Amino acid sequence: MHLIETRELTHTYNKTIDALKGVNFIAGRKQRIAIIGANGAGKSTLFKHFNGILKPTSGEILIRGEPIKKSNIKEIRKLVGIVFQNSDDQVFSPTVEQDVAFGPTNLGLDEQTIEHRVNEALRLLDIEELRDRPPHHLSGGEKKRVAIAGVLAMEPQVLVLDEPTAGLDPRGVTDLTSFVNRLPEEYGMTVIFSTHHVDLVSEIADYIYVMDRGQIVAKGTVDEIFMQQDLLSGLRLDVPVLPKLIKTLQEKGIDIDMAYNYEDSEKAFLKAFGR
Amino acid sequence: MIEEIYTIERQAMGNSPVHKIDARVKIIIAFSVIIAMVAYPYSVDVIIPGAIFFGFFAVLWSISKISFIGYLKRVFLILPFGIFIILFQIFFENRHYDTFTPIVDLPLNIHIYAESVEFASILLVKFIICISFIILLSSTTTMQDMLTGARRLGLPSEFALIIGLMIRYLFVFAEIFEKVINVFETRCFNAFDRRLPYNYRLKTLGYAIGTLFLRSYEQGERTYTSMLCRGYSKDSFLHVSRQRLKRGEFSFLAISLVFIILIPVISYFYL
Repeated sequence: MHLIETRELTHTYNKTIDALKGVNFIAGRKQRIAIIGANGAGKSTLFKHFNGILKPTSGEILIRGEPIKKSNIKEIRKLVGIVFQNSDDQVFSPTVEQDVAFGPTNLGLDEQTIEHRVNEALRLLDIEELRDRPPHHLSGGEKKRVAIAGVLAMEPQVLVLDEPTAGLDPRGVTDLTSFVNRLPEEYGMTVIFSTHHVDLVSEIADYIYVMDRGQIVAKGTVDEIFMQQDLLSGLRLDVPVLPKLIKTLQEKGIDIDMAYNYEDSEKAFLKAFGR
Repeated sequence: MIEEIYTIERQAMGNSPVHKIDARVKIIIAFSVIIAMVAYPYSVDVIIPGAIFFGFFAVLWSISKISFIGYLKRVFLILPFGIFIILFQIFFENRHYDTFTPIVDLPLNIHIYAESVEFASILLVKFIICISFIILLSSTTTMQDMLTGARRLGLPSEFALIIGLMIRYLFVFAEIFEKVINVFETRCFNAFDRRLPYNYRLKTLGYAIGTLFLRSYEQGERTYTSMLCRGYSKDSFLHVSRQRLKRGEFSFLAISLVFIILIPVISYFYL
């Protein structure tokens, strides 16, 4: 049984705009899944189906094998946590502590458990010192961490991040990457994220879905997707710099192995140049 | 104008002993003074508790290390709301006096009565003391702390959640407003520039206001969606952790309350 599964999922806005067309998507346990696609490809619309914010026009969405119903909506929103692109949409309480406590409070937990979850989430994101700060005193990166902490405090099994690197500085991106990479192994969580930042995908994801105009046009492992450089260029997506460079070198006759992330590329270059 | 919100907040985040007192203590003291002043009978003696309470306010204000000019500015900003009602009293008879002595006769059979002037002065004293304590409360307590304090004192959870959202988005919209102003300035638009056609200026301002409305609507939709994602329902409430008052705060509150109750009682019955 998959954690999330969509079958021929279709969504039409206002009976006129087809945002999703026959999407088949599967997310299993402890997976790190990237969904890439240009603006308007339907990534955010798909995410909003994962916890019942949007209802399918046709097709099915199953969470742990069960369809989303009014009776299980609270349980599903606890299971699938979504972090939105703009933290100002998500961080709405007057202080950081109150915002992180919002989700656990809605779950009807007792005072002590709420306190424990808030402390844990703040510790995990390394923002304990921000506890009493009002959100408008935080930087973009800090607000993003608060937004993630607010969702993690609900202890979801699936963390969905919509464009998590948007508006972050390079250090913020590095911190977020290492944090996301810890979640499946240390906490058994599944992470699904969308991004335009393709260089990041090979660092975080094990599986990729490529979306275009509401459809899944390709899916596969990082190697399988980034090998199709023409497909990515055709969809107005960047090809990651390292595989692009290695491919150029290969075309020029240099014997070098293909690699998709920094670590593998370093090994490939050292091997190719005999160091 | 809305950018003043940051100035008020900076002031409220001060480090003085008055700033550091728990919000609950300040809320109770401010409201006790207001109740004492409002409940005090309409008599010229009101000047006695009024002067003593103003002294109490002045002591707290000076400890808070906020400039007196700042206080005066705020009083003058708030004053028009009350002064309008107070000034009007001098032309009318009221139920607190049996006889009315005209001191000025105006056309259209309008008179200014000595008793009504006295009544307006009493109202003015009450009004000044009440707004002074509200100014003290808002200048030494951040909005977030005030909400937390009010919630701990039993403010209904529905109100707390809505006020919490309002506080949060007041600052978000102050930021958006600032950005709009920056865009206008960057592109050399000034609504008071008489060289630009009047209609054009009006239209541009209209567009900006319309955009702000649309953005607030969209922001509301997005925020509501994210609230739903975190389990929001009609039973949701703002979490406020429990916190006991420190012994010093408790003593200060107790002494202040005794003082606030005794002063009007002594003034009315014994002076």
